[in-house]
Amino acid sequence: MSRFYYYLILVNMVANIIACVPAILLHYHKEGTVTSMLLAVILGTALVTIFTRFFNTFPERTLPELLQKTTTKWFYLPFVFFLAVMWFIAGLITMVTFTFLLNRFLSPEMPIIQISLMIILSAIFGCLMKTDRVLYTIEIILLITFPLILFIFYKAYSSNNLEWDYVKEAVLYVNQLPNLHSFSACFFLFLGAANLLIFNRFFAKKQTFGWKQVILIAVISISTLFTSYFIPIGFNGFENIDELVYPWISTSDSLRMEFFIIERVLYMFLLFYLGIAFLSILIHWHVSFEFLKFVFNLDEIKFKGKAIGKFIPIPFFIIISLFFVYQLNEYELFRYTSYFYNSLIIIFPMMTMLLFFIKRRMKYIEQTNQK
Amino acid sequence: MSSLETVKWINEQFKKTNELTQKTLKYEDKHILLFYIKSLIDQELLQKLIIKPFFEMATENQFKLYMQALPQFQEGKSTEQIQLEVMNGNVIIVIQNEIYLLDLKLSNNDQVNSTSVETTIHGSQLGLSDNLMTNINVIRSNYHKPSLCVEYLVKGEINQHKVAIIYDNEKVKNDVLDTIRKRLQNVDKQVITSTTQLNNFLNDKRLSLFPRMIMTERPDRLVYNIAGGKVILVVDGNPQALATPAVFFDFMTTMEDNYHTLLISTFLRVLRYIGLFISLLLPALYVGITSFAPEVFRTELALTIAGSRVGVPFSSFIEVLFMLFFMELLLEASIRLPKAVSATATTVGGLILGTAVTEASLASNIMVIIVSAVAISTFVIPVNEMAFSIRIVRLFFIVITSVFGLAGLTLSFYVLIMYLVRLDSFGEPYLQLYISPKNKSKSEEQI
Repeated sequence: MSRFYYYLILVNMVANIIACVPAILLHYHKEGTVTSMLLAVILGTALVTIFTRFFNTFPERTLPELLQKTTTKWFYLPFVFFLAVMWFIAGLITMVTFTFLLNRFLSPEMPIIQISLMIILSAIFGCLMKTDRVLYTIEIILLITFPLILFIFYKAYSSNNLEWDYVKEAVLYVNQLPNLHSFSACFFLFLGAANLLIFNRFFAKKQTFGWKQVILIAVISISTLFTSYFIPIGFNGFENIDELVYPWISTSDSLRMEFFIIERVLYMFLLFYLGIAFLSILIHWHVSFEFLKFVFNLDEIKFKGKAIGKFIPIPFFIIISLFFVYQLNEYELFRYTSYFYNSLIIIFPMMTMLLFFIKRRMKYIEQTNQK
Repeated sequence: MSSLETVKWINEQFKKTNELTQKTLKYEDKHILLFYIKSLIDQELLQKLIIKPFFEMATENQFKLYMQALPQFQEGKSTEQIQLEVMNGNVIIVIQNEIYLLDLKLSNNDQVNSTSVETTIHGSQLGLSDNLMTNINVIRSNYHKPSLCVEYLVKGEINQHKVAIIYDNEKVKNDVLDTIRKRLQNVDKQVITSTTQLNNFLNDKRLSLFPRMIMTERPDRLVYNIAGGKVILVVDGNPQALATPAVFFDFMTTMEDNYHTLLISTFLRVLRYIGLFISLLLPALYVGITSFAPEVFRTELALTIAGSRVGVPFSSFIEVLFMLFFMELLLEASIRLPKAVSATATTVGGLILGTAVTEASLASNIMVIIVSAVAISTFVIPVNEMAFSIRIVRLFFIVITSVFGLAGLTLSFYVLIMYLVRLDSFGEPYLQLYISPKNKSKSEEQI
């Protein structure tokens, strides 16, 4: 696979450490999170494989284009609009979470609207770019932030304060049956591959996706899940870990860099994770923008000869995001996020069925074309 | 048009000036007519090549054949061409009803300058000259390939300057060449005096912050760029050439990178990129950390900074802008000032202002260090045009940080990256990592 494909998956996985995923996992720490994680790795990797294989057979095609060819208008227009809303919400969750984080830990005296506005505006600036340019941006920002994130993980694993006994205790709960909320939260990590619905436009060459790639993705996902669940437990203990609102912030704040100019790892973590979170918002909203462009045919809308169509969704994005930032508190955010994740585990298996349907239709169309 | 009419027409054209010299030579049965502009031609050459042989040759026919054999010879086709060539230093010779042109141009600006903007320790110290033909000669004698093409255009409605487009026929991307030709066609400026002017005219966006063409005075860089499939533009009378399409990383390379061993050049590159980051981010970081989140730094350092700011009556934002403003003034002054005075200016600015400002506690000691670090690291950026852009971006960063804090700085840095990625330089993405072998051919100058 092209390296850009892995960026999509990686960003989605790593970005969720900062979002609600660890909090949800830790909340059900005695009710089968470990088994849910194992189950999610198997099913998630399967889903990634299905999605990637499907889009590999149609290089340079996006899902809306394929739907247009194979289904009727009354089905695909509402469906793509629905997808646009889903992707918008996915970005919105990351945005709101990070706004709260910045407000709590970095600049408590700044108005929350101001914080969120700066994230929204910079993400929207990026969303309007062409798909290939979005990928180039992801590559460069990852190149800057990822080594430092890895360094922070290294610091965490090598720290003396990491008590492996707690981790072992947490693993003992492997005999519990998996529960829905933990499973859906873990499952969300794998949905980076679903961005191919739009980003497949970039992958022109035929890609290979064999066992090696599947194993690579499984390894990345297992290590991400392991880190995001067990490291906070190792630092904060097992018993009351579900009370923590931001487990990873507390964890990174227990790390120190004694000899560096920045002593508390927390600030490095926040500022560099801002990059990852920003990329996550950028990817999701870019996909959302592209869906909206397709549904409302925005490229056609012109004013005095200038194509202004793509700017129309911007005010809606800003107003809706600001509304949620203003309305929600952390507790509600976590609850609604959990609902959102739960809905995804219904939607995505159904989407795989849709993909099979499209594949058969496409085969049929090709056969008739050959005749 | 017969030659007589042409002669008349030319006389008509130059009636208002007394520059055009007309000379009739008559000896035995030979008879020729000469027209030239005295200040443009080499009079010694004229005497040696035309006047002396004229009196020595036996017949007019022999002289005519001799003229045709001269390397400077060209035939006069249309009146417009003749007029233009006269302005370029040709001599018109009317002989037996035919018009010949001889290029006897005298140019005093064809000495090759030594490099002054892009100086290096290794490699050639010679740059381009002010003369177009000499420049093309320099390029050609460094690039021995028959596929090297030179196209000439005349630009500038009033001053009719010569512009040359130079490229390697086999390497150049045709769509880039076409866009450049098309945009050059559209340039309808009255006066064109400099190569870098073209940079603005060929760029279709007025408000662009970053240069899309790389300005250089080094022949080795030009040759390197031609070999990489780039198009070179040279304007007569300019010791600088433009290479395009240029991507961001081109502006961060010097020619010396190729002359050092790998380890050394990697070290120098890393140094340069650190310099870039320092000059971009350091003042904004200072604002962000002192005013918004002093707890980011370790306690001792935070206290040192706070202690150094004791007595400073401004917020860090004003302090940074105040000091940067004087630094920018100093930079600007040292470019414009005559060489004799500029040393004084730097002494006054750097030493006296630097110490006095801290003693008067208008700025903290640390601020002075930061400003000088920023100034030094701005000079590390190898291509001058990029340094100018960075200076402006830095101001944006300071303003954004003073409103949005450290997170704002981080985000605006990402926005800068996105802005650069979004830019195009004649169809090439401006900022893109070249890792996969597929993309390798896209640009020769890579990170």
